Amino acid sequence: MFDDYPRETVLKDGSCVLLRPATREDEEKLSEFFARIPDNERWFLRDDLADPTIMRQWIEDLDYQRVIPMVAVRQDDNRIIANVRLHRRPAKCMKHVAHLRITVDPEFRQQRLGTWMLIDAIKLALEIGIEKLVAEFVEGVEEAAIGAAHKLDFFEQAVIKEYVMDPQGNYRNLIIMVKNIHREWSDF
Amino acid sequence: MTRDESSENRTGASDAVLDERIFETSEEGMLCIIPRCPPEKFPDFALDKGIGNFSHYRSIIQKLDVFQKIAATEGGRVAVALIRGRVLVGYSACWHPSEGERWSKLGNLMYEMGAIEVSRNYRHLKLGRTLVNVLMEDDSFEDRIAYMNGYSWHWDLDGTGMTLGQYRKMIMGLLRPHGFKEVYTNEPNIGLREENFFMARIGSRVSDEDRARFRNLRFGLVNR
Repeated sequence: MFDDYPRETVLKDGSCVLLRPATREDEEKLSEFFARIPDNERWFLRDDLADPTIMRQWIEDLDYQRVIPMVAVRQDDNRIIANVRLHRRPAKCMKHVAHLRITVDPEFRQQRLGTWMLIDAIKLALEIGIEKLVAEFVEGVEEAAIGAAHKLDFFEQAVIKEYVMDPQGNYRNLIIMVKNIHREWSDF
Repeated sequence: MTRDESSENRTGASDAVLDERIFETSEEGMLCIIPRCPPEKFPDFALDKGIGNFSHYRSIIQKLDVFQKIAATEGGRVAVALIRGRVLVGYSACWHPSEGERWSKLGNLMYEMGAIEVSRNYRHLKLGRTLVNVLMEDDSFEDRIAYMNGYSWHWDLDGTGMTLGQYRKMIMGLLRPHGFKEVYTNEPNIGLREENFFMARIGSRVSDEDRARFRNLRFGLVNR
């Protein structure tokens, strides 16, 4: 599954970033990374991974059969600057589905880093036989990620109106986007 | 000795490149591999019927004179598999990128693994691996960056019964033993389909400067 990692990518500013699977040794750097995500965005994460206790648990539970966590590491200073997670369900009826979650360091947005992380996740999904990638985004908060997902052929499958609450107590829509990973070409 | 064992022993036996390698096959008789087929040989060959146009698949190279041209070009190389001494049942070919392609910006440093195909009628012989192996028996690969574009519109899914993911894995599996790795690029044709891929092998004598140029070129940064 991780045959050709780490993989290089070059950002718009010319800096080099390595994509690779996260390991237990990344615990501290991952905590630091999530601590750099603004509070109003971290609010929407399933778990507050900036909290070292929660991160410790997350790292201890690391199981690539269940979650594939990929990180982007800046070559200059070894900083983790993005993370994408592919979550798989153990149920046989869901083995063709993976849920994707992505977080990018604010300092490295608008550099195509998120796009490369999404592409990497799609290639991994293809490699492990996933046929449906599902991503959930909060409307009005994750517009850049929604735009990038659209460009990679994710489509809006559903919108759950006023589903999540923001820090100010307002309800926001949750957009569920899906990308089908086809097994063959169409006969059309 | 099975056919596969025979081919592996022979390809690993010596650094010298033999002109022809003969293998016994139980069903088809003599199979001959020519690792570097001279251009003048091609007019004597005939293409097997399993190479050509099919309902959902079209061979990359369908005419013998195309092979001839590749073999006659500077740096061009064609390895062939022949049955009965003249029926071409498989080939692998490599060449330097042509002008206008992104990779030509690094000149003759770049070397494309341009085509590998085995006739639909002879896939049970697992010739693909042998045809790649014989191409790679060349020390000049250590001075080059060899690469392959994997475009799914060239894949014979119907003829193999494979899914896109399985076919992709099969092709990559032919190159990985030789040190090829999938690397990312923003080359638009690669990005057209998620199953498309770009693999590269950087020779051991390629300088750090050229490695960096290649990395930047993959992402469209030509002057860095």
